[in-house]
Amino acid sequence: MARKTVFIDFSKCIECRACEVACEREHNGRSFINVFEWQEMAAMALNCRHCEKAPCVEVCPTNALYRDEDGAVLLAPQKCIGCLMCGIVCPFGIPELDVLDKIMMKCDLCSHRRAEGKLPACVETCPTDALLFGDFNDIQRMRRREFTEKAIEIAKKGERISLRAL
Amino acid sequence: MKGVFPLEEKLVPVVCPYCGVGCRLYIKSLDGYPRGIEYAKDIPGISNENGKLCPKGNAVLEYLLAKDRLKKPLKATEQGKFVEISWSEAIKEVAERLRAYSKDDPNAMMFFGSARTFNEPNYLIQKLARMLGTNNVDHCARLCHSSTVSGLKAVFGAGAMTNTYKDIEEANVIFIIGHNYAETHPVGFRYVLKAKERGAKVIVADPRFTRTAWFADIFLQHYPGTDIALLNGMMHVIIKENLYDEDFVRRRCVGFDELARTVEKFTPEYVEKITGVPAELIVQAARTFATAGKGVITWAMGLTQHTHGHDNVRLAATLSAICGYQGKEGCGVSPMRGQNNVQGACDLGVLPNVFPGYQAVTDPEKRKFFEEFWGVELSGEVGLTVIEAAHAIEKGKVKAYYVMGENPVISDANTNHVLKALQKLEFMVVQDIVPTPTMEFADIVLPAAAMLENEGSLTNTERRVQWSFQALNPPGEARPDWWIVSEIGKAAGFSGDGARGFRYTSPEDILREINACTPQYRGITPERLKSNLAGIHWPCPSEDHPGTRVLYKERFLTPDGKAHLAAVDYRGPAEVPDEEYPFLLTTIRYVGHYHTLTMTGRSRALVKRWPEPLAEIHPEDAERLGIKTGDWIKIETRRGAYPVRAKVTRTVKKGVIAVPWHWGANVLTNDALDPVSKIPETKACACRIAKISEEEARELMKAVPKVIPEFEVVKG
Repeated sequence: MARKTVFIDFSKCIECRACEVACEREHNGRSFINVFEWQEMAAMALNCRHCEKAPCVEVCPTNALYRDEDGAVLLAPQKCIGCLMCGIVCPFGIPELDVLDKIMMKCDLCSHRRAEGKLPACVETCPTDALLFGDFNDIQRMRRREFTEKAIEIAKKGERISLRAL
Repeated sequence: MKGVFPLEEKLVPVVCPYCGVGCRLYIKSLDGYPRGIEYAKDIPGISNENGKLCPKGNAVLEYLLAKDRLKKPLKATEQGKFVEISWSEAIKEVAERLRAYSKDDPNAMMFFGSARTFNEPNYLIQKLARMLGTNNVDHCARLCHSSTVSGLKAVFGAGAMTNTYKDIEEANVIFIIGHNYAETHPVGFRYVLKAKERGAKVIVADPRFTRTAWFADIFLQHYPGTDIALLNGMMHVIIKENLYDEDFVRRRCVGFDELARTVEKFTPEYVEKITGVPAELIVQAARTFATAGKGVITWAMGLTQHTHGHDNVRLAATLSAICGYQGKEGCGVSPMRGQNNVQGACDLGVLPNVFPGYQAVTDPEKRKFFEEFWGVELSGEVGLTVIEAAHAIEKGKVKAYYVMGENPVISDANTNHVLKALQKLEFMVVQDIVPTPTMEFADIVLPAAAMLENEGSLTNTERRVQWSFQALNPPGEARPDWWIVSEIGKAAGFSGDGARGFRYTSPEDILREINACTPQYRGITPERLKSNLAGIHWPCPSEDHPGTRVLYKERFLTPDGKAHLAAVDYRGPAEVPDEEYPFLLTTIRYVGHYHTLTMTGRSRALVKRWPEPLAEIHPEDAERLGIKTGDWIKIETRRGAYPVRAKVTRTVKKGVIAVPWHWGANVLTNDALDPVSKIPETKACACRIAKISEEEARELMKAVPKVIPEFEVVKG
């Protein structure tokens, strides 16, 4: 099972909150991604991490929480009894209670968009590419490659300088 | 879905109605009703790569569904009270009144174009004004980028961005001055970050530590209004250390010796005293900028909205020129326009001194061309600008206003003065999509279709002309801007054929007429724009021309073909802090809001996130005055008072207060004008601050015009 996730690079986030507005539009006026700012210096978006060992899935007494083929943790509304267990165990405080329907709501990685072969709305809109969607291992591999390329470049620069000094 | 809904869902490619980046997106519509938006990932070469959108772009449908959209023409019975009338009555009355003024004294009329609507209605409004015999036509670019137009014209010969976003991405150094790029144009900032990832250096000069400054390699935090000193200081270092492009200066520039003499005294130490930027940082910034090989300077209102805005822009252009960063790819100067069609409105002559294509009204030859083209006699006298018009009303010289998609009550500097002036008008027409505070003074209100509800061409900040298609049906009896202006033109008696009248059946007709009289747009035909969604960069002199990415490759557009370097001595803001008004006030903007809130103020998703203005104040100043975050404070200047909540933060320098201007903070700002570009100094003025209670704040709030007004309308 390919496990896809939204990767968040907070060094690129400009706190424009486009992801929030996009999510809100796709999910009937409720945003499942939130941008937090600290010390006016840095911001970071946070959404459901769709954890590998998701405590919300493990604890759900009615099996309302399940995984789809991309590995996203989804909620079957007809099974949910609104017991809040998933919200209590989630370390990120992600599942919320819908006050009208008395069931839980959470990020579904835009399953309706993925069904059409599109990316989640928050990722699609992010103007600075601070949000990436893809297989966890692929993203990690890409990040390692980028880091290595940069390190090689710096090393080459250093070589040139030291050669000149000689 | 078919079968359940027999109607087909359509994806219509449009241009975002917000800022000047000119992003493309799709509107999902069902029989002319909105169903949602989709990102334009599949159109290559557009300005927003991969269809990226900022929060405003994502919330684009919300303002269209506002409950208070104007749906019928209105006529005022008394100030602020309206009755509904029919289109034929409204058009007849407006045309007759304008006709009467045109007979007595054409210069008693003032016309406003709009940078928020298409090229076509803008072309028509200036054509109407000029055919009625006056050059009193202007638009809101006067208040944001007129100094860019005049400053760049003085140095390079034309007032437009010399390069494109692609060049920002390819640059090795990007100097951002007076511009909170990340917040004002998030999608454009993408190109800066991409350049940075490639290894480019980013230099940011701003009085505030903005979101843009997070990404700066070198951050110069200068006092508001000291840009001349900062730029001169950088050029002093560049010239002294021989880092400038000698070959380029010799071949393509004039005035270098005078520049060298003028910047002589701007040593880094002297500049440090004026600007508050450490001398070593200035030296470092100058060296980084001059030695990068490929560099872009980008600016916005922080540089232009000063009494020396024209000189600021000339110096920025000079800095770019002496480093040889002109006429090459990956280089250039890029002023960032705030509204989606500022460039287009300027190009099409919605300015008091030029016909379409920047052809001076004072030039007898150009005037003769347009006299023959339009078939009327034209005035050769330069008209009034926005702020000058407000003063002319007070003197009784201007009696009638035609405002298309504008909101001078909130956008003009020194609001209280504007309010007083508008009261004196004899006749005012407001053409808009929703009620604005300006509407209170209107005699006739004409309901317009919003941008996504009609079609036409737009020119974004990088001179890219794009076609936006009609995605939705306008509400009620609202009509496209081009239709309204052409009906008024016809009713005013201009019913000749072709260019000699206003008998248009579609925006395509108008664009073809623009092709015929505007040299830069000659090859930008409606057919080409419709088949090429990515648009064409002007100048495009013929139909087989691909458009121009980089300007001035061979020569500049000045008469002698050379860049005229500017040598300017230091001048501070018109009003500096003193004992009575000890703080320096500057205005800022939020990423989620747009200009005078007419559109974003009606969008729930945006208002929820950015609900109110917060005045930024340095912790040390706040402590001295006993102010904490969330307290109400009163900011007072020589022109007015404004209640606002405080936010204690280190982003501003000591002694500086920053207020977002969307909610009408212009009651405070100074309307002192730049002598050349006539831009008011809204970015710096002296103020004083006092802590107040909430009741006092509510009391004060009554005097500030409401950004989202309510009017009494009697159904007809």
